[in-house]
Amino acid sequence: MIDHERYSRQLVLKGFGAIAQNKLINSSILVVGAGGLGCPIIQYLAAAGIGTIGIVDNDTISLSNLHRQILFTSEDLGQPKVKVAAERLRLMNPEISIVEHPFRLNKGNIFSVIEHYDIVIDGTDNFDSRYLINDACAFLQKPLIFAAVSGFEGQLAIFNVKDKNNIATNYRDIFPIPPAPGEIQNCAENGILGVLPGIIGTMAAAEAIKLIAGVGQPLINTLLHYNLLNQTQYTLNISVGNDYVLPKSKADFLLMEDNQSHFIAPAYEEIDLTQMLLLRKQDLALLIDVREKHEFPILDQDVFLQVPMSEFNTFMQNNIDAESIVLLCQHGIRSVAAAELLQEKYGDKKKIYSLKGGIAKWRNHFLKR
Amino acid sequence: MKLEIISFGKISEFIHHQQVEISNVTNTDQLKSYLETSFPELADMKYKLAVNQNIIQSNQSLKNQDVVAIMPPFSGG
Repeated sequence: MIDHERYSRQLVLKGFGAIAQNKLINSSILVVGAGGLGCPIIQYLAAAGIGTIGIVDNDTISLSNLHRQILFTSEDLGQPKVKVAAERLRLMNPEISIVEHPFRLNKGNIFSVIEHYDIVIDGTDNFDSRYLINDACAFLQKPLIFAAVSGFEGQLAIFNVKDKNNIATNYRDIFPIPPAPGEIQNCAENGILGVLPGIIGTMAAAEAIKLIAGVGQPLINTLLHYNLLNQTQYTLNISVGNDYVLPKSKADFLLMEDNQSHFIAPAYEEIDLTQMLLLRKQDLALLIDVREKHEFPILDQDVFLQVPMSEFNTFMQNNIDAESIVLLCQHGIRSVAAAELLQEKYGDKKKIYSLKGGIAKWRNHFLKR
Repeated sequence: MKLEIISFGKISEFIHHQQVEISNVTNTDQLKSYLETSFPELADMKYKLAVNQNIIQSNQSLKNQDVVAIMPPFSGG
């Protein structure tokens, strides 16, 4: 039940009203970064009545933040941003839920966080986070609002939302390859006029509200550039690029190298022990030991399915449910042969991996149980 | 051919908003190498070209009076 008085000015607004307000109340938005962009974003989203707002940030409040992060005060110095922001927003609007995520997103945790939200807003301050968020949202086709600032200028766009021609784009359609470290300066190096992220963050919140409420023309497949010095806006129409490849599975995503320009999907991939353990820990892959039954060491059968090469063709007649499969043998040679067989059958429908060097190479791990 | 060049962010510090008259440039690949030769800093940066406000994804022919925008990525927040 919504408080009519709290939202009365939006309820009487022609072209908005109760239908749009109800959509806001029933929606959930994750805001990544509670800094210069994130603060105005969450303040306006909370005030507007977005039902659930998640905030991700692992940073604490410092004095140099206060000229632009006007949700915080001098008394908050040293406090975690997420905690202070959540307290303030709950005071502003006790009718909505605020979810605290006081950590940094990484490849291992990003899906479990963003999957719970309808929309993600990227208000981070570095390219590593921006490409991580972009790639995860593009993989899930999760609507993403991108906001960024530099000097006196800002950029804003909406990704992974289909336009009327059924086309959706993402950040890599504009910039397929991340800049090298140091190539583009950040706010700390380059400086930032405090009011600029206030303007761009507020515009990002407006885009989120428009997208959820279904009003106006949100910046779908459009990159908006804003210049504070002369109050000009310039828009670019984004089309689908052809010079990058996104991961096809969560397992691929997890194994992507940091700062890799793009993911190139090989026919099958040879991985090391660390990568295999990562896949196992995330429960993302079926692990198959293709050695014959008499070979040592014997592996834990709860973890490794044993399918000897002599029985592999019979095994292949059944369908495998897992979307990713890791094969291993004594030296990593038979497992490559098995990988090729699976690749022939499933093509790029599954991700196939072979443990490079096999059990012999990683014997310290396999023998220690 | 006459072109209008607009640039943004750091790129606007060394490529100012200008009308240029260029010979021997008929497509965006040629324009890129012209720009990267005339402004060597550009060659070391990530940027995207747009012609008449449409981001280009592959080589495209240019015509007289086209407006070419040069956009770098921003990361600040």
